[in-house]
Formats: sequence, structure tokens, C-alpha cells
Amino acid sequence: MTRTKRILLGGLLLGALAACGNQSNNDSVFGKLAQAARQSVAQRNAEPAPAPDPSAMAAEALRVNPGPLILVGLESAGSTQVMAMTGENAGRRTYMTKNEQALILRNGMLAGTRGLGNDLSVAEMSGSAALVLAGRSGEARRVMRYWTGDGLERPLPLDCRVGPGPKAGVMVERCQGFGLTFENSYLVQGGRATVSRQWIGPALGYVTIQELRP
Amino acid sequence: MRAHSIPTRRLLASTVPVALLLGLGTSPAHADPLIGSHFNSYGLPGGIDTPSAEVLPDATLGATLSYSDLARRNTMVFQALPRLTVALRYSRVESTREARGYIWDRSFDLRYQFLDEDPQGWRPAVAVGLQDFMGTGIYSAEYLVATKTLTPRLRVSAGLGWGRLASTGGIGSLGDRPAPDEGEGGKPNIDQWFRGEMAPFVSASWQATDKLTLTAEYSGDDYACETGDAENCRRPIWLDDKDALKNQLNLGFTYQLGEHYQLGGYALGGKQFGVQFSVAMNARQAPYPSGLEKAPAPVRPRPARQADPDGWSGAWSADPTAQPAIQKALGDALAKEGQVLESMALDANRAEVRIRNNRYIQQAEAIGRTARLMSRALPPSVETLVITSSEDGLPTSSVVLRRSDVERLENTEAGQIANAAQLRDADPRPGNLVMTPGLFPRFSWGLKPYLSTSLFDPDDPLRYEIGAELSGEYELTPGLVLAGSVRQRVLGTTRQEAPGGMTPEEYEALDSDYDENGVPRVRSDGRMYSGNKSPWVSSLTLAWYAKPTETVYSRLTVGLLERAYGGVSGEVLWWPANSPLAIGAEINRVRKRDFRDTFAFRDYETTTGHVSAYYEFGNGITAQLDVGKYLAGDKGATLTLSREFANGWRIGGWVTKTDMSTEDFGEGSFDKGVSISIPLGWGTGDPSLRRIGGDIRSLSRDGGSRLRVGGRLYDKVRDSHSGQLYQGWGRFWR
Repeated sequence: MTRTKRILLGGLLLGALAACGNQSNNDSVFGKLAQAARQSVAQRNAEPAPAPDPSAMAAEALRVNPGPLILVGLESAGSTQVMAMTGENAGRRTYMTKNEQALILRNGMLAGTRGLGNDLSVAEMSGSAALVLAGRSGEARRVMRYWTGDGLERPLPLDCRVGPGPKAGVMVERCQGFGLTFENSYLVQGGRATVSRQWIGPALGYVTIQELRP
Repeated sequence: MRAHSIPTRRLLASTVPVALLLGLGTSPAHADPLIGSHFNSYGLPGGIDTPSAEVLPDATLGATLSYSDLARRNTMVFQALPRLTVALRYSRVESTREARGYIWDRSFDLRYQFLDEDPQGWRPAVAVGLQDFMGTGIYSAEYLVATKTLTPRLRVSAGLGWGRLASTGGIGSLGDRPAPDEGEGGKPNIDQWFRGEMAPFVSASWQATDKLTLTAEYSGDDYACETGDAENCRRPIWLDDKDALKNQLNLGFTYQLGEHYQLGGYALGGKQFGVQFSVAMNARQAPYPSGLEKAPAPVRPRPARQADPDGWSGAWSADPTAQPAIQKALGDALAKEGQVLESMALDANRAEVRIRNNRYIQQAEAIGRTARLMSRALPPSVETLVITSSEDGLPTSSVVLRRSDVERLENTEAGQIANAAQLRDADPRPGNLVMTPGLFPRFSWGLKPYLSTSLFDPDDPLRYEIGAELSGEYELTPGLVLAGSVRQRVLGTTRQEAPGGMTPEEYEALDSDYDENGVPRVRSDGRMYSGNKSPWVSSLTLAWYAKPTETVYSRLTVGLLERAYGGVSGEVLWWPANSPLAIGAEINRVRKRDFRDTFAFRDYETTTGHVSAYYEFGNGITAQLDVGKYLAGDKGATLTLSREFANGWRIGGWVTKTDMSTEDFGEGSFDKGVSISIPLGWGTGDPSLRRIGGDIRSLSRDGGSRLRVGGRLYDKVRDSHSGQLYQGWGRFWR
């Protein structure tokens, strides 16, 4: 066998056995790296998927799932998904997608995300929430906490101003701090934001949230 | 049993504003070290051959390859502390003493920025540095340098250099600089630091565009040895005959490629040209900072008392079917989270679970997820939740939570639950613990490819071997583990080699485990084990881990402990969960394995052991001191300093000094090296305990060599003890 052939064959054999077994941490380094590479290639090659019709998606979800539902669009990813409530603790509701990514909302206002890679750990925004939900204008302090790459949870304190938006019933919250500004808009009905566009963080940008079933 | 209040402020608070980590690009108003943006040819921030007072962003790990006709330098640099930069370099240095005409020489650098720049005023940043401060020292130099930002695009550095930086253009001297170390090298040459001629140097770098930086400098290094200037070359064996520089001016450019790479070129003294390439990444910047793991199941608050009077009364605990059903449900839920519910103790108002975390680098994340699952699985009367971390069957620490705190503090910052939690030493033998049925005996196996590399061999800088590894583990009861692995090489360039220029056959025929000085060959014939084309059992051990008291751990391992040794290894470790100090002792009786025959041994047999002290200084900085007798019978000590970040990055260095004489030890004088360990999940975002990295040791010598037995207790226990646990506590609610 020539040398090239042997190397090729060796490579194939190794590829074929790219980790098997029943070990709990059975992910080999090669396997992990290959998987990461495949994912990044797949992302790059991915044709923009034909946008599923949000209203059809919503109708289907409403038919299948009896619980509270929201329709969520992540602007930076260009994706739209239905999320179903999986838990509620002291007014904070956790909504999840089928593949277990989560948004946490309090009266429709974003309190956290899970499983998105650049998650918002918790948003401390009781001041803003009081103003927005009451339809009043005023100033409030907001602290957004993130998990940073160094493995810690770190705060991003912001100064916000809440006031009426251009449309009737819409409240706008403008926040700034550390050289960034963002603007959240909320349509408030029955003491909660039923339709909103809210900022998650510097990496993920804005999310639109629409209540399908309270 | 002690339960300390949690020093949350120290552990969770940080001086680095989130804005910097989120890359918002705002300039911090308070005093900070002056950050450099490009590397010099020695792989540190600076001009071309000259240094600056700049540092890298804290926790940056970088590498620079700088090649010209006069020098080839490969440098790895790490910003160990915000103001302290360390570097390890492998350079090709001409050596007339070697048949091949050159050696690959290791060198170490340190730089400390002790004065901050005042951005508004006149004060520059000032740093002091030692270049190539140990060993043979062809690049040895010391400097004092100041850097000032004149305009946002223009920075100027000026300083005074000694040694190599004062090869020419001296303006005076501080005493005499002794001749370079002609011996075996490897020792700090303190007697040379800041001695002899000193010469000024100046550099200016101008950021022409966002990506392009132009640099000009006046350097006191005229490359006397490299250009055949025998009169000024400090060691004749370094002499070479390249074209001499015309002047002391160097010009260069650096081009930034993406976030992590730099490409550059330079002209030295109008005569010589070089190119360089750098890569830098920061341990604090991950592609997916919060990880891509799935969302945890949220807390399920308990129903009101009147809605579930039976559950609240605790009457359910009298039902013998209750615990098995709850344990099954909780065990299944934990299994989906990559955790094993080893055992559980349950009564009407307290539940203890023993979990084995197989997925999350931060133990706090595993504990936080377990707490939430417990809130979903346990009847309402259970108020005290005890989550005990089990490290391969060793119960290490217990986090005690009140269930009402878990309910109340979900969706708040992690510091609050940290304050409400207690960390205790795990009870080694609680009475009512029920093992989860069907877990033991546990058998696991895996078949994986492996890659082993050997770098920096002067004759063949990169050797590698690729093959398949079959590993298996049979755990009879928690803590009693039979484990082994077999490797089969498929291809590679490593081969069997004997020490001292012999062929493997000659060395085998010699049938001696001692070198010509009578020193046992405990590592220097390590390559005799390489290049095995038959299946090879790299280890086969029976290990017993136990916890005799609340704060003492023990290990006993017998079998083929590592590639080169088999025997018995015993270890004890005293380490209370809340203590920054741990003390351990290890003793081994080992015999050297045959080079080829898996179950045969050679004649060399020895007893080796150490007493060790470990101390965690906070911020992930740990020191370890081992004192004892090494494999070759030499006595001495090893000091290891390491820094581990909350995200699991670990970088450390060690030195070993024993009573073996410098002559017996050979080149390098004593053992030293650095180790790097990066969690795979940091790069991919997928949660995993897998790590990549390894040791870079200066030389594989017989002196100061330790047994490489697996499962040492300190590493096993540390992730769930207070230092590491609280450092990663921020991910409790992830």
C-alpha cells in the first residue's frame, strides 16, 4: 500500500470511529471541533430559509397547546417562533421553544433569556415596569445582568426615561449608559405588555414579543 | 460542621465593567493599565525589537512567530495579571557547538507596568522588564521604559536598556556585566540584571488606519553575534556571518486581520528584513458567553397550604413508595441535565441529593439546576434542600438551601442566593442515604481517536502520532474504580529513540537504568516507549477513593499507573470545604515498566512521595508547594502558581529544584514549565467538562520528575470547594 493510501485509510478509519461508547462525557475533542466546524459551515451555507408564515404558525400552536403562548421574533437572527409557558413563579413566566430556549417575562416585560448563547441573566426593571404598565411618564434606573465570557454575571446599569409613544396605548422606554442607547416599545393592555419590541443585549439586539394567549 | 457566611462581595464583584466585556468600546474613566495593540518581534507589546510600557488586556493569551535572517523567535505571551506580562519563547540560536549548527533555545520574559499613564496630564505609563532572564541568555536584556499617547493615533516610547538592548550606543554603565552563563543554564542570571553598559532606545507607532500601524524605532541592538562582529559578541559559539546592519533604525508595519490576527513586516538597520504573525485571544471573550446549553426547567413554586394539605403535612413520608418514586423522577430529570443522582436521603422536611456533574464546567450551574429540579419534584413539606457534590463517588461539599429562598430568589442576581446558601463539608456517611438503584456496578467505555504531539525537538520540531484509544471504566461501588486504556497507533512521525545517541537496540542491550553519571534514567529514556506499533496498555489501575472524615480524603491506586511506571500510589488530603488551605501527602512505590511488553517491568524500583500544601489566594490564583523525594531519588520541592478563571481557563507555571547537582541534571539545571488548560465549551458554547491543553515543560530530564498518576485528590475535589465554587457562582441561575 502506498504511503498516501495508508494515510487516507487511517484518516477514514479514525473518522469512522470518531468517538463511540457509553461514557457520559463521551464527546471527543475531535468530535466536538468537527461538530462546531460543521455548524459554522452550515450557518454560512444556509440559504435564508423561507420565512414561515407567522400567522399559520400561531394558529397551529393555539390548536395544539392549551396553555399561554407568545410569538417571538429575534430581529438579529431573522427568526420567528412560538413559545409556550413552562412555568410561573411570582409573576415571572418562563416561555420555551421546542428546543428549550427560553424567555422570562414579567407582565410582558423581558426579565431574562436562557439558551441563546448571549443570555440576559436578569433585568432589574421594576421602576420602568411601574411607569410603563401604569402608562405614566418618568425616569427610572434599570440594571441588566449578563453572563460574560469570563464566567461571571456582570451588571450593566442604565438610565431610562419612560413616556408615551407615537401611537395611542404605546409606551416607550429609552435607556442609555456605557455609550449605548436603546428603545423599548410596549403596547399595554390589561396591566401587561401584550405586544412589544424589547432590547435583550448588545449581541442579540431586539426581540419582538406578541401575546397569543394570555 | 462549620458553615461560613459567603464572601459574596469578594467573589462576585469585579472591577471590570461589563461594558468592556460586552465590547461596547467605551473608554474607562478611571486609571487602567495602558494597553498595547501590536506585538514586537519578541512577542510582547512594543516597537520592533524594542519594548514599550504597554500591557495586553488582562487574561490575553497570544503567540507571535517572528522570522528574519537574523532571528527566528516563537513566543507565547500571557497577561497573567492586569499589570504583569509573562512570555515563554523558543528561538533558533546559532551554536557552533552543535553539529547541526543551531539550537532551539527557551527564554522567559517578565514585564511589570508600575505607573499608569495620565491621559489628561503629562505622565506616561512606565514599566520595567526582564527579557530572557534565565538560562543561556542570548536575548538577555533589562529595561525601564515609558510610553505616552501623544495623539489618539500616535504613541511614543522611550527607555533605557541593558544587555542586548545596549549592544551599541551605550551612554554609561552600572558596574560590570558578567559573561553569560557557560554552564548548563536554566537559572535566573540575577548577577547580570541591570548591569553593564546601558543605552537609550526610542520607538514611535502611528496608527495610519484602523487596521494598519506603522512603527519606527531606534534600537541599541546591533545583532553583533548574528552579523559576525566577534569583538562585540558576548559568546563566541553564537557567532554567525549575516550581513551587518547599516544603522540602528528599524521600520515596520502591522496589519490587523480580523479580531485575533496580526500580520507584520519590518526592516532592521536598512539591511535585514523580517515577517511576523501574531494571534491573540482573550480568556474573557467567548463566542457564546452564556453557553448554548438548554434553558433550565424553571422553579415550580409550591401550592398554597390549603390546596395540598397532605403534601404540606409531611404525612406522605410515611408511605414507603414515596421516596423511590421521587428518586426515580428526580434521577431521570437530572440525567437529562447530564448529571447522575447517586443517592438521596429524604424525610418530611429535608432532602439531600448526591449528584455527579458530568456536564457543566462551573459546579454552581449544576447545583443551581439541581435546586430547580428539586423544587419541581419534592413534596411541599420539604423545606431544606441539601445538594452534595460527588466527585466520582467522593462526597465533597454540600450546598444547603432553603426551598423558600430558591422560590423567592429565582430571577434575581446570583449574589442573593449565594448569601442565602451555606456551604458545608459533606457528611461522609449519613445514615438514611438511599442509593439510586441500578447505578452500580457501572461500566462505561469509549473508543476515540487520539493525537499526541511532541514539540520543539531540535531535529524535528513537530512530532505527532495519531491512533485509536479504547478506554473502559468499571465502577463497582462509588469510589472503587477499575480503569484502563489501550492505544493503537495508526500513523505518525514519533518513533522509538534511545538517549545518549544510542540506537534503541543498543540501549536495550545495555540493559541499564542508569546514565553515565549514575543517575537513574527515570524520564530521559521516555522515547523508548514511543513509536509502538502494537496495541499498548497506557494505564490499567484499580483505584479506591474514600472520605474517612468530613475533611479528609484518601486515594489508593494500584496497577500500571502511567506509561513508564507501575506500582502502588497512596494519597491523603485534608481540605475543609470552606478553607483556602489544603494539605496533602502522597507516597508511591513504583517500578519502571518495560518499553514494549505491557505487563513486564525493568529493574528500576523506587519509593517517591511528597507532602503538599495548597493555598487559594482569591481571584482564582492558587499556589502549590510540594516537598519530597522525586522519581530519581533526588529530594527537593516544586512550586506551582496558577490562575484559573471562572470560565474554567487555567494557566500556570511551575519550577522544581532538587538536590541533584546541575551537572547530573544536565541542560536546563532544573525542571520548569507552564501548563494551559482551556475548556472546550468556552470555544464551542456546548457545555462539556472536556478540556484542551497540556504542559509545556522545558526539558524532560531525570531530576525533579514526579510520577504521573491519575486521579490526584486536589484536582478531583477543587471544583466543588469554596474557592472554585464561588468563583463560578454567577452561573447558579443559568
